[in-house]
Amino acid sequence: MAGWPAETKYIGHSTLRIDAPEKVSGRARYSSDIQAEGWLYGMILRSKWPAAKITGINLDKALAVPGIKAAITVQDGERTVRFYGEELAAVAGMTKQACLDALRAIVVQAKALDFVVNETEGLKSDSAQVWEGSPNASNPKPREKGDVDTAFNECAAVSEGFYHTPVQIHNPMETAGSTISWTDDGITAWVSTQGIFGSRDALASSLKVDQDKVRVLCDFMGGGFGAKFPPILESVLAARLSKETNAPVRLMLTRFDQALAVGNRPSSFQKIKIGATADGMLHAFDLDNYGTGGIGSGGSSAGGGSGVMLAMPYIYEVPNSRVKQAVVNINAGAARAFRAPGHPPTSFGMESAMDDLAAKLGIDPVEFRLKNDPGEIRQREYKAGIERFGWKDKYKKPGSSPGVVKTGIGCAGAAWPAGGANRRTQGEAQINPDGTIEVRLGVQDLGTGTKTVIAVVAAEILGLKPEQISVKVGDTRFPPGPGSGGSTTCASISPTVYDVCSKALEQIQTQTGVADARGANWFDACKKLGVNPLVVHGQWQAGMSSDHACGVQFAEVDVDTETGLVTVKKICCVQDCGLIVNKNTLESQINGGIIMGMGYALYEERVMDDLSGVVLNPNFETYKVSGIADVPDIDILLINMPERGVIGIGEPATVPTAAAIGNAVFNAIGVRVGSLPITPAKVLAALGKVPAPTKS
Amino acid sequence: MKEQDKDGLIGSFSRRTFLKSLGTTAVTVAAARTQAVAAELEKANAEKVIGPGAVPVTLRVNGDTLKLMLEPRVTLLDALRNYSSLTGSKEGCDRATCGACTVMVDDVPIYSCQKLAIEMQGKNITTVEGLAKSGTLSNVQQAFVDRDALMCGYCTPGFVMSVTALLRKNPHPTMDDVKHACAGNICRCGTQPRVMEAAMQAAGVLPKTAGLSKTEIIDYGRLAS
Amino acid sequence: MKAFEYATALSTDSAQQLAADNGQYLAGGNDLLGVLKEYLIEAKILVNIKSLLGLNKIETGKTWKIGALVTVAEIENSAEIKKTFPGLQAAASEVGSQQIRNVATVGGNLSQHSRCWYFRHRDTVCLKKHGDLCYARNGENRYHSLFTGKSNTCISPVVSNLATAFASLDTTVVVLREGKETPMTITELYQTAFDDPYAHNSLKPGDLILRVEIPTTHTSSSYMQVSDKHAFDWALVSCAAAGKVSGGKISHPRVALGCISPMPHQVKAANDFLDGKTLDEATVSQVADMILQGAEILEHNGYKVPIAHALIRRTLLALKG
Repeated sequence: MAGWPAETKYIGHSTLRIDAPEKVSGRARYSSDIQAEGWLYGMILRSKWPAAKITGINLDKALAVPGIKAAITVQDGERTVRFYGEELAAVAGMTKQACLDALRAIVVQAKALDFVVNETEGLKSDSAQVWEGSPNASNPKPREKGDVDTAFNECAAVSEGFYHTPVQIHNPMETAGSTISWTDDGITAWVSTQGIFGSRDALASSLKVDQDKVRVLCDFMGGGFGAKFPPILESVLAARLSKETNAPVRLMLTRFDQALAVGNRPSSFQKIKIGATADGMLHAFDLDNYGTGGIGSGGSSAGGGSGVMLAMPYIYEVPNSRVKQAVVNINAGAARAFRAPGHPPTSFGMESAMDDLAAKLGIDPVEFRLKNDPGEIRQREYKAGIERFGWKDKYKKPGSSPGVVKTGIGCAGAAWPAGGANRRTQGEAQINPDGTIEVRLGVQDLGTGTKTVIAVVAAEILGLKPEQISVKVGDTRFPPGPGSGGSTTCASISPTVYDVCSKALEQIQTQTGVADARGANWFDACKKLGVNPLVVHGQWQAGMSSDHACGVQFAEVDVDTETGLVTVKKICCVQDCGLIVNKNTLESQINGGIIMGMGYALYEERVMDDLSGVVLNPNFETYKVSGIADVPDIDILLINMPERGVIGIGEPATVPTAAAIGNAVFNAIGVRVGSLPITPAKVLAALGKVPAPTKS
Repeated sequence: MKEQDKDGLIGSFSRRTFLKSLGTTAVTVAAARTQAVAAELEKANAEKVIGPGAVPVTLRVNGDTLKLMLEPRVTLLDALRNYSSLTGSKEGCDRATCGACTVMVDDVPIYSCQKLAIEMQGKNITTVEGLAKSGTLSNVQQAFVDRDALMCGYCTPGFVMSVTALLRKNPHPTMDDVKHACAGNICRCGTQPRVMEAAMQAAGVLPKTAGLSKTEIIDYGRLAS
Repeated sequence: MKAFEYATALSTDSAQQLAADNGQYLAGGNDLLGVLKEYLIEAKILVNIKSLLGLNKIETGKTWKIGALVTVAEIENSAEIKKTFPGLQAAASEVGSQQIRNVATVGGNLSQHSRCWYFRHRDTVCLKKHGDLCYARNGENRYHSLFTGKSNTCISPVVSNLATAFASLDTTVVVLREGKETPMTITELYQTAFDDPYAHNSLKPGDLILRVEIPTTHTSSSYMQVSDKHAFDWALVSCAAAGKVSGGKISHPRVALGCISPMPHQVKAANDFLDGKTLDEATVSQVADMILQGAEILEHNGYKVPIAHALIRRTLLALKG
C-alpha cells in the first residue's frame, strides 16, 4: 500500500504490550477501581417479573436505611416491564452493604402479566405477546434465487438437517458500569466502554447536558465483546444519583445483572436443506430459520446489531436458494452486537450442512470446500492449512475412528465483511523540546492492544523505539477516535497515527531546518524547538487500510463415546488480516477468538426457565466458559498481506471455530450433533445411548 | 479511626476521610507487633459477640497494617477495594467462581470475595500490589509481560497470584500442574495459552523470551493457489 | 448479605451455644457465604469454628480419623491419603478449584446446601424453599436426580465429591448432637434429604460435624467423574469404587454414585453380587445394570445413565491397579 514503508523495524514484528506492567502489577485503574473523592456506591433494583405492569415503586424505606444518600426510579408513573432483570430503580450509599439493604427495602407494586421465554413457544399464535398488539414473530417474505424446488430434484445428493445455536452472553470479566461525577461544572464519567464518544453522546442526550460539559474517560477497561455500547442505562442512573447526592457514584453491574440486561447473541433454529450435483457442485439451498433477540425488535432498550438474520448461504455461491428467517420476540433482555454479530451461528449452520452433504456425497470435506469456495484467499488458506494441519494423514471417514475414544477432524471458513475504518478518526501528538512525545487519541483499548499499536506505528514513522512513545487514550478531550466495534479500531488508528507522525516530522523539519529528524537526529532536532512544544494534529488517511478478512480453521477432537465428553486437542488457524502491525498482540486476539468460539461450541448457553421466566444461569458456575484446562494447542499461520493495508482481526478469528469443532465431532462419531453447545448429553443422545424419560 | 458523619452514624467509616489519611502510602507497623495486637484482639474478642454494626478490624496486607471499621458481613475483597486503595484485586463475580479476586493468605491462594474480612485478622495477606512493592516486577509478573499473558488485564492479577502461589509451593511444575493451579481463574479474552507459557518461563522451564512468538508468518504471494 | 453478628468459638460447647439462636457455623465459608449472598437462608450470627481445637487433625491407624476442619486441599496433597485411600484423594483433587480447596473443609463439603439452580436462584421459590413446587421436575432438570425417595418430590441431588468417595469407603461421620457424639453412615447423613424435600441432609440445627472415620478394610479405591468442562465444574455424575482386590478378584466391594440422588447412590444387592467375583468387563457391566435399575428418567437427565454405567465399569476395573 502506498503509505506503509516496505522495510519495517516494528510494524510486522512483535512489541511487548506497553500497558502490561500496569496490568500485572495491579496499578491499572479500571472504571470499577476509580476512587474519586467522596465516592458513593450505587446499585440497581431489577424486575423479578418477566412481564408486569408496575403500578408503584415506594422508595421511602430505602431512603431510611442508614448510609443511603439517594434513591431514584428509572421512570416515574406506571410502566410495563418486559423481561426479568429490567431496571426499576437505583440507590446510592456509603457502602455496598447499605445499598444491598436499601434495594431489599424498596416496595414494588406490580401486576404480573403473561410472558414467554422460549423461542419455539413464542412462535405459536396463542403465545403470550411480548409487545401488546404485535405478534411475537416477524413474517418476512422468503428471499429466493433461481428455482430451488426444481433444483433439488436435479441434485445427486441432498442433506436435510436441523442446526441450533443458543443465546450467548458476552460476560466480559469486568461487568458494565461506570464511576460518574455530575456537578455544576458538568459530568466526568469513567465508563467501562467500547466507545467513549458514544457514551458521551448517550449521557449528554439522556441527561440533557451540553456535550461540551460531558467528559468520558476510559484508560483501562475489562473487555466488551460488543456488550459495552449504548444504551448505557446503568451509567445514566449513576449520573442521576451523582447529581442528587452531589458525590461521585460508582455503579457496576453485578455478574448476575450482566446476564440479564446488557445484551446477548441471538439464538438460531436453522432448518437447512442443501443439495449438490454429482460433480460435487452446490446446486440448491433452502434455509428456514428463526431466532430471538429478546424483546429487541422494536424495543426501547435494544442495543444495535441484533443479528438474528443470518447471511445465508454463507461464503458459498449457490445458484438456487430460498432463505426465510423470522425474528421471534421473547420476554428476555435485548440482544446487542456480540463479536462478529450473526457470523458464528451462520458459519455453524452452513459449514455443518456442508459436511453433512459431503458425507452423503462420499467426498472429503476439504475437497468439497475447495470445489465450491469462491474466495481466492480462503482457497489458499485451506491449501496451506491442509499441509500444516496434516489433514490428509489425519482424515478418516466419519465414524471410522476405532475404539471408545474416537478422534475426528473438521474445518470451516470465515468471510468477515467489515473491518475497514472510521474515516473521521483524528489524533494529535505533542512533541517536547527534550524529545519526549505524547500521542493522544480519543479511542479505547479493550485489551486488544490498541495502545501498543499506536506506539508501534509512531515509533516506526519517527525512527524511535516504541517505549519512547507515551500513549494516551480514553479521553473525550482528545481528538475523536472510533468506537471499538466491527474490528475497525486498528484500521482507524494506524493510518491516523501515521498521518500525525508524518506531519510531525514535516513540521519539525520545517521549523528547525533539520533535513531528517528521524531516529538518531530526533533529540537534536527537538532541542531546536526552543521552549514551546510542538502539537501536531492529523487524521485518518485513505489508501492505508481496507476491509474483509477471511480465515480458515481446522479442529481435531477426541470424543469419549461412553461419556460423551468432547476434548479439543488442536486448532490450526490460517488467518489473513492485511498488514500485520503488531504480531504478538495480534496472536493473542486470535487465541482469544478461538477460545471464545470453543466456548460457544461446547459450553455456553443462556438458560431461561419457562415456568418462572428467569435466567437460570446468571453466573460463571452454570454459564460455562472455556477454562485453562479446556484450551487446546492453538497453531496459527498468519498470512501477511501488506498490500491490503490494515484490517481488523477481533471478529474474523471467532467465526468458524464452533463450526470446525462441530464438524470434527461429526467426523469422529459419524453422527451429527447439530445443537450447540455440544455437551456430553447431546453427544450421547446422538449416539442413541440416552434412555427415554420414564413414564410416570 | 472512628468517624461520626452528619447522619449520626457512629462506626461507619467515611471513605473520604479514610482515603485522605491513607492515600497511597500505607502505615507500616513492625510485623511482630501487629501479629501480637491481632492475637490479643482475637483472644479478647473470642466468644464475644460483635456486630452487626461496624467494628474495628485490623488487616495485615502486603506487610502494611490497615485499620478499618467494618461490619462483619464485609468480605475481604470488599475491604481491599472499597475501604482501602488496594484495587488490584478485582471483583469478577463475587461468588467464588472466577478468580479475579484471588489473594494469598500465608502464601495460600484463596478467593477474597468469599472470605469475611473480620476472620482474616492476624494473617499475612498478599495482594497483587504486594508482589512488586519496590517497583520491580516479580519474576512471574515479568514473565506475564514477556509472553503477553494478558489482554484486557482484568483477570490478570488473579492469574498472577495463582501462578505465584504455585511456584512458591512447587518451583518445578508441569504444564498440568499449572492448569490445575489456574483452573479456578477465568479469562474471557483468551490469555490461557500464554498464561501457561508465562508460568513455565517463570519456572525456568521455558527460556526468557521477551516478545518472541512462535507463530509463522507467510506472505500471501507464497501461498499455493 | 444481611447484617449478622460474629463470634469466634473456642469450644464445641460454646459454638453450639453461640449458634443456638438462629446461628450458622462458619468454617471455610464457600457454601455459607454463597447462600447468604443470595438470601437463601437467614443467620443472626456467624460462629467462626476454625479455632476449635482438635478438629483439624488427620489420625492414621486401623481406622483413620479425619477432622471436620481438615481442608480439601490437605486431603488432596496428602501423600499418605493418596497411598491408603486413592479414591478419596482423587475426589478431593476435583473439588472446585485450588482457591476453593484451600479453604473448604470436610465438614462443610459434606453439609453444603443443594446446588440446584432453582434452589440457588434468588427469585424462584422452589419446593425446597417451601414454595409450591419443584420447578426442576417438569423444567430444566439436566443436572438432577435419577433416584429419590418415594414421597419426595424434590429432585436435587447430592453433589459433594467427598460424599461419593466416603460412601464407597464405609465411612462413619461423627456428629456432635445435643452434646453427644453421634455416629452416622453416609447414607444416614443424607437419608433425610432422600425422603424430605425441604432437607439438604440429616443434620439438625446445632449439629456440628466433628470428624469422619474411615476403616482401612478397602485396600483399593478409585474415583472418577464426568463434567461438561475439564476442570472447575460440578460433576454431572461422579463414581467411587472400593474393595479388596487380589488376583483379579474383589471382596468387600463398594460402588457409590454421586449427583444422581439426594444421597450417594449404592445398591447393596449389586455389591453382594460382585463380592468374590473377577473384575472383568462382563461382570462390571452387570453390576452397573443392577445399580442403575429403577432409575427414574426425566426429560433432560437420561444421559446420566450411560455416563454412570461407564464410570461404574471404569472405577471398578481401575481397582485392579
